[in-house]
Amino acid sequence: MEDADGMTRPLDAKGIWLKRGSREILRGVDLRADAGELVALMGLSGSGKTTMLRVIADLEPRDGGDVTAAKVGMVFQFHYLFEHLCAIDNVTLAPIEVLRVPPAQAKQRAQQLLDQLGVGHRSHALPRELSGGEAQRVAIARALAVDPPLLLLDEPTASLDPARRNDLGDALLQLAQSGRALVMTSHDDDFVRDFATRVVVLANGEVVEQGDPKTVLTAPTHPATRELLQLERARRGVQ
Amino acid sequence: MTIRTLTFACVWVLIGFSSAGAQSLRWGGDAEGGAPFVEADPRDPSKLVGFDVEIAELIARKLGRTPQFLQVQFTSLDQSAKRGDFDIGLSGIEDIPARRQSLAASIPYYEFRELLTVRSGDRDRYRSLADLKGRRVATLGGTVAYDLLLDAERRHGITAVSYDDDVHPYSDLVLGRVDAVVLDNVLADRAMRRNAGLVTHPEALAAGHYIVITAPENTALRDQVDQILRDAMKDGTLETIFKKWNVWNEDQPALYARVLSGESAPGTSGTQGTLGTQGTQGTLGTVGTYFPSLLRAAVITLVLSCAAMALAVALGVMIATGRVYGDPVSRLLLTIYVEAMRGTPVLLQLFVIYYGLASVIRLPAFIAALLGLGLNYAAYESEIYRSALEAVPRGQLDAARILGFTRMQTLRLVRAPQAFRLALAPMTNDFVALLKDSSLVSMLTVVELTKQTQIFATNIGSWVIPGLLCALLYLAMSLPLGYLARRLEERWRMPTV
Repeated sequence: MEDADGMTRPLDAKGIWLKRGSREILRGVDLRADAGELVALMGLSGSGKTTMLRVIADLEPRDGGDVTAAKVGMVFQFHYLFEHLCAIDNVTLAPIEVLRVPPAQAKQRAQQLLDQLGVGHRSHALPRELSGGEAQRVAIARALAVDPPLLLLDEPTASLDPARRNDLGDALLQLAQSGRALVMTSHDDDFVRDFATRVVVLANGEVVEQGDPKTVLTAPTHPATRELLQLERARRGVQ
Repeated sequence: MTIRTLTFACVWVLIGFSSAGAQSLRWGGDAEGGAPFVEADPRDPSKLVGFDVEIAELIARKLGRTPQFLQVQFTSLDQSAKRGDFDIGLSGIEDIPARRQSLAASIPYYEFRELLTVRSGDRDRYRSLADLKGRRVATLGGTVAYDLLLDAERRHGITAVSYDDDVHPYSDLVLGRVDAVVLDNVLADRAMRRNAGLVTHPEALAAGHYIVITAPENTALRDQVDQILRDAMKDGTLETIFKKWNVWNEDQPALYARVLSGESAPGTSGTQGTLGTQGTQGTLGTVGTYFPSLLRAAVITLVLSCAAMALAVALGVMIATGRVYGDPVSRLLLTIYVEAMRGTPVLLQLFVIYYGLASVIRLPAFIAALLGLGLNYAAYESEIYRSALEAVPRGQLDAARILGFTRMQTLRLVRAPQAFRLALAPMTNDFVALLKDSSLVSMLTVVELTKQTQIFATNIGSWVIPGLLCALLYLAMSLPLGYLARRLEERWRMPTV
């Protein structure tokens, strides 16, 4: 798949179907992402957004459709750092073992990434010693260390307080501007409105609405989007 | 049921027991010892037959009581007598000073000769213990013959091998695992009938006697037994019994003449020096005598346990990996292996490997012990590793896969290191258990710490000091291990998910 400039698009998924038993989780989902984009996948729990990320990363076998994706990096909601390795070793493991980068060079680059993400001072801490936000940024650095043109993030704001959320948003935008395509799932409409370049709303395994976040999330046209926003506001109201 | 009826029932049961005790004569012996001492009647296994059975019945009859048999393992007869488990014990029990010191022992009722049995082909090569320098010579543990062999170890440089029964020394002699057996003429005769290709030299290496034992404080009963035996020597009852069992010979009338003429109990006369002298030393001297051999036995326990654990860990890792990553067929086969090894007693497995496979492959005892323990513990280790591998979060495996690791790399770099940390505590536990389970291999003639302690205890007639020393040595091996494991665990502490 090539776009108008003749460049390969980092992500082009078409007509993705996925069934679990008799339940259809994804029903013909199309999703593309260009370099420089930060695409937000939104939807109620069970709408299939995390499953879609896993299909793109080839962690989940699909029952139909095509995925053309560049090399993928992924940041999981629960980070899943390698618990026996300190932060910097988590980041250097794949460059050294998979890409055969000389260890010293891999270490230097890892430290750079951690510095950029604001956790350079924690490079020798074990995962269990990191806060949720720190662990997440180490996980981002780990995913970026193999230089993937496409970065997937599952609920990146879930473990962050509001101040940290803005830092993360800035960092993600920077990554997009440096030429990567980013796709994240989120239930946080404020965050998506502030930082995403495009929003795609899933309901019952189908794309029901997409476009500019400011437009879609201010004046939703589909009932599922309205329900999503109401629930999110109610949740925040309770808090 | 009310408390009153319960109490009544208890009292009734107690009365029942004590009245039964007043009428019956409980006699202890080891039916595994077999004919002609004590064995289950081949025609009616619920009945016991043998010359010791008939002598016990004779004593009971003369005392006006009914004989009641109590099965006690041969090596535990002394301790059991001391505890008062039975009134009299007889089962080819030998007259040694330590026994006379710690128990009330009767006059001797049978004189035996210690005889050397070899393979027919070695008839001229091995005529005495001195000819067997550097060779393995087998016998039954805790007997005069074993002391004789320990003595010959020092004098002639033989290797004494101790068995827990009198059948396997001879079958291993046929197989070539040992080059000679020393046991008394009764056992040797029996073995000669069972095994072809063996020859027993008629010259006695030593002579000894069978006696009846009672609890040390029960000298009154012992005196009664002495009188009954004397009468039976005079009126020919003993002769009739021994003739019936084909063990009568010219040594017996001579023994009876000495006993009846009032000569003091002759004990054991060795043609190669006095036997069983340990009983006369002081406690400290005894400890000094036995401690070096206990230490040597502890080293055997430690080496065996470490080697068996290394085998169990290596095999366990392979089994666990196969069960997590393998195809359905190998998973099934490995599951069958694990269930079979965990579901059957390790003692049975040791017997099968050492004796059962002997016709196919004749493994040295230490190797058989190492294999038996290692193969058995591999099943347990593999389950620990399997669950530890499964405990590493799936998300980390997904993360590794996306980063481009192969399955082998993920196992080596991500899964195994974390699984090992999780497995460390249960592994330490298993190693300590193995250290103690290694005592089972004494069944295969390996003299390790527990066996050596048993020999020590039998020779001095008490378990107190040998037991304490043995416990201290086991603790000295297991405590540092536990400490080391805790240190490692702290260093590698994993979050509890």
